[in-house]
Amino acid sequence: MARPNWQLQLFAPLERASQTALAQGLVSEMDLLRLKTIARLHARGLPPAVGWEDLLQEAFMRVLTGARLQPPQVPPVAFLAGILRSLRSEHWRRARHGAAAGESGRRIEAAREPAASAPDPECSLMAAEQLVAIERLFAQDPVVLEIIAGLAEGLSAEQIRNCAGLSKTEYDSARRRMRRCLLREGLTCAHQ
Amino acid sequence: MRPPVNREWPETRLARVVQALEGEILEATDEEILDAARDLGMDLSMRGSAAFLGLKYPLIRRRADFFGDRPGPGDSLGQLARDALEAKEPRGKD
Repeated sequence: MARPNWQLQLFAPLERASQTALAQGLVSEMDLLRLKTIARLHARGLPPAVGWEDLLQEAFMRVLTGARLQPPQVPPVAFLAGILRSLRSEHWRRARHGAAAGESGRRIEAAREPAASAPDPECSLMAAEQLVAIERLFAQDPVVLEIIAGLAEGLSAEQIRNCAGLSKTEYDSARRRMRRCLLREGLTCAHQ
Repeated sequence: MRPPVNREWPETRLARVVQALEGEILEATDEEILDAARDLGMDLSMRGSAAFLGLKYPLIRRRADFFGDRPGPGDSLGQLARDALEAKEPRGKD
């Protein structure tokens, strides 16, 4: 009888989940890299105990176990990215409630409250730090920084182009540079 | 006249940026991913490419992943030894 590989079973939940998703044809190898980059992006600003691997593994598990059903018109990668986004929101909400409960000592009441309109100062600080970290990624590219600033303001592509005085070609070219930089960041192995 | 105060929370701004960047990554073509990997000296066609660490192969953890850049006891001992060696044999001196 083959002996189970305990190391793989105990320490590699993401690898097993992603291998299963690959084997089932849910995602391709390139999609895995896209999802890794997106998961690393969404893990920014989350508590240090929550890594991109945890987010991605949870997203895979929700799809593979059928906890989240993929609508037929949505591509699997976009669907998984949407789950990553909602997981990120869940963690933010939990962090905010945790901080509120810690301050007041009323954990149960805080958990029942709807999302507070004014975020926790600690969460705000973390978010501000992550915004700076994202801007630092593009520090060498002032055009991309203008695009990021516009995105943070919630401006549309056309509004950003008008504000920054960019032609469509310049804007698209800056977006390509931005994508390449993000992908480079996402493909590295360092833990953030 | 003073500019209007920006009342938006950093969380809102971060969420917008992250969502927009997520869209960019979803739009990235396979060729763009290959180019980014090439920039890092990675060959994605190679079996065991580092890009797939954590996805197809277990992630290799380093000390800094858990403890940040703080020097540990081993580091300070190593530094002491290096300093002692350098003091004994200054670099660049033949």
